[in-house]
Amino acid sequence: MVQINHERRELSIKVVYYGPALSGKTTNLAALHDRFSSDVRGRLLCVDTKDDRTLFFDLLPIHFESGDFRVKIKLYTVPGQVMHASTRRLVLQGADAVAFIADAQRRATQANNEAWRNMIEDMRANGIDSADTPIVIQFNKMDLPDVRTEAEIRAAEERGNEPVFTSIAIRGEGVVETLHGLLQLTFRHMQRKYGLANILRTDEQGFLDNVFRNVDLRGTSMRRIGPRFERREGVR
Amino acid sequence: MRAGDLLDVRVPLGELLDLRSFREVCNSFADLYRIGVKVIDGSGAVLVDVTSGSNEFCSYLYSNLEGARRCSAVIQEVKYRPLDGPTVVAIPCFSGLRYLAIPLVYEGDVVGRAVFGPFVPQELADLPQAIKELPGLDLANGRRLMAQIRRAQDSTIARVLEHFAGICSVLIFSAYQVYLTSKMHIESVRESYREVVAKAEKLEESLTRLKELDQLKSNFLATVSHELRTPLTSIIGYAEMLIEGLAGPLQEEQLEYLQTIMEKGERLLHLITSILDTSRMESGRLRIEAEPVDVEEALSSAVSSILPQAKKKGLSVAFDCAPTVREAVLDPQRLQQILVNLLSNAVKFTPAGGSITLRARDATTVPARAQGRFDGPESYFVIEVSDTGIGIPAESIDRIFDSFYQVDGSATREFGGVGLGLALVKSYVEAHGGEVTCQSEVGKGTTFRVLLPRTYINPVRGEALLRKYAS
Repeated sequence: MVQINHERRELSIKVVYYGPALSGKTTNLAALHDRFSSDVRGRLLCVDTKDDRTLFFDLLPIHFESGDFRVKIKLYTVPGQVMHASTRRLVLQGADAVAFIADAQRRATQANNEAWRNMIEDMRANGIDSADTPIVIQFNKMDLPDVRTEAEIRAAEERGNEPVFTSIAIRGEGVVETLHGLLQLTFRHMQRKYGLANILRTDEQGFLDNVFRNVDLRGTSMRRIGPRFERREGVR
Repeated sequence: MRAGDLLDVRVPLGELLDLRSFREVCNSFADLYRIGVKVIDGSGAVLVDVTSGSNEFCSYLYSNLEGARRCSAVIQEVKYRPLDGPTVVAIPCFSGLRYLAIPLVYEGDVVGRAVFGPFVPQELADLPQAIKELPGLDLANGRRLMAQIRRAQDSTIARVLEHFAGICSVLIFSAYQVYLTSKMHIESVRESYREVVAKAEKLEESLTRLKELDQLKSNFLATVSHELRTPLTSIIGYAEMLIEGLAGPLQEEQLEYLQTIMEKGERLLHLITSILDTSRMESGRLRIEAEPVDVEEALSSAVSSILPQAKKKGLSVAFDCAPTVREAVLDPQRLQQILVNLLSNAVKFTPAGGSITLRARDATTVPARAQGRFDGPESYFVIEVSDTGIGIPAESIDRIFDSFYQVDGSATREFGGVGLGLALVKSYVEAHGGEVTCQSEVGKGTTFRVLLPRTYINPVRGEALLRKYAS
């Protein structure tokens, strides 16, 4: 649940990166860490094993001012390995928005499906209505052989409600777009529920500007270009 | 508590950092740069307060009533003046000295402050007017004490302070990392524990249900076997009477048919008895009636009971009993069944011209689950049944003792039987506190090795039995 603290003039949003093992959740956060200006982000907190497998979670905090409010967006990843089921559920508690990181390789289809089902189940177990939560899907690792084609991915997008992005997180491609898409949905969702624009005294565009003006957008390859996002490409 | 809270938690700096080690770091900073170091948490609690050269000067001012009042006001400023930006802020002391403060930040939140000072600003020429106005203060002494305090430019101290704040920030981050990780670890373990407990409960329920079903099955088997046995006994009895001519003389062919009826009837009876024993075994009601047994005699009797079939197939049968193992205290009927079952199996699976050997001798090992804690091989003896039969494939060896298991379970299999013989052998042997093992090579033959105690000890009545036969 989003936390709006009027007394401290603080708004806190929890975003969780969910997905099957080795789909690139931590890589997404690391790429965002690299692209966000250090003025608005904290250190990337990673707890992993020697072979870079997430053990509990990763955390990248982003903070900025909006109106007289201080906005904190905390980006978490869950550990993808099957055995960490309970940790995944715990990290997902209280999530306001979810980025589902799928592996675009065909052979990962089953793992993606299982992780998706687990996510819906974990959300349900945490009292989160998945139908009423901003979710975007990212197909990562598009540079690898035997991945789904753009046409297939677009067809998959047509079948569901969630916006779908493609990425090569290891090169930082598509990562910013995914977060942008998710935060756009999140703002709209919160606007509907809490009238966020009045609280933050800004509209959707202002909110997104506040986040992404601090992001190095060079070299991002927009696969899903909204007119406003396109405009913003020239910020830096 | 939901994880949002769990991971969102703010811990006071004093709890987060290992203060002893942290103070050591601060001390070394103060020594190195000859400047006082204070670290104050978000609520104004002073965690570290190291002075350098300013003690005497400050104490002297503090000994003055008005000086003490102003001093306290400066300390309040040092502790509580809001620090908004991430930059260094100068906090002047009425004495002309100066403090520099910088906020300590975690995830964009100010969680405390680091303060360096007091130091003498480079540009300060003399004690300021504010001190000169203090009544009763010896200015010469004041100047002498001030000279002990480091004189420095703001920019110099600010650089060190920024560096120090950077180190603090890493320490705070690392401490949070450890803190959040351990919190999450504990929560995950709790969550997993809850899951495991829930699963264990479910398993327990299914186990209870299965046990009930198993009991039902055993009861059913026992009842059915009993019900089958009663009419069968009559059939055999009447056939026997007919054979004996109690109902008049019979032609040779009639006699032959009747003998077949009797033979098959007896086989059926034997099978039903085996099933009954199995069900008794499974319901734990098999009783061992131990008494002194002549092992050689038992061997001989078992061999004679299978000799007719062996001869029919053209097998040679030999047996040998070491003189040291002739006496035992076991259930003679069960021993007989063990031997006959193993021998019948050997006959069944050994092709014509083969041989079967039955041997009893001293044991060299003890069963994995020995009867007593201090048993040695001397408490046991071994019976071996070897054949030159078709052998058992390695992958089936572990299963041959299961009830109703057949190595060849196909409908067109060559050898008959329901698969109870070895299951019964194993049960009888284990009921005695013994062990049965099997070694086999396909095409070469099989050896069953039965390790039995020389004296059966009833787990409950063991002591009494031992006394009875020891006397």
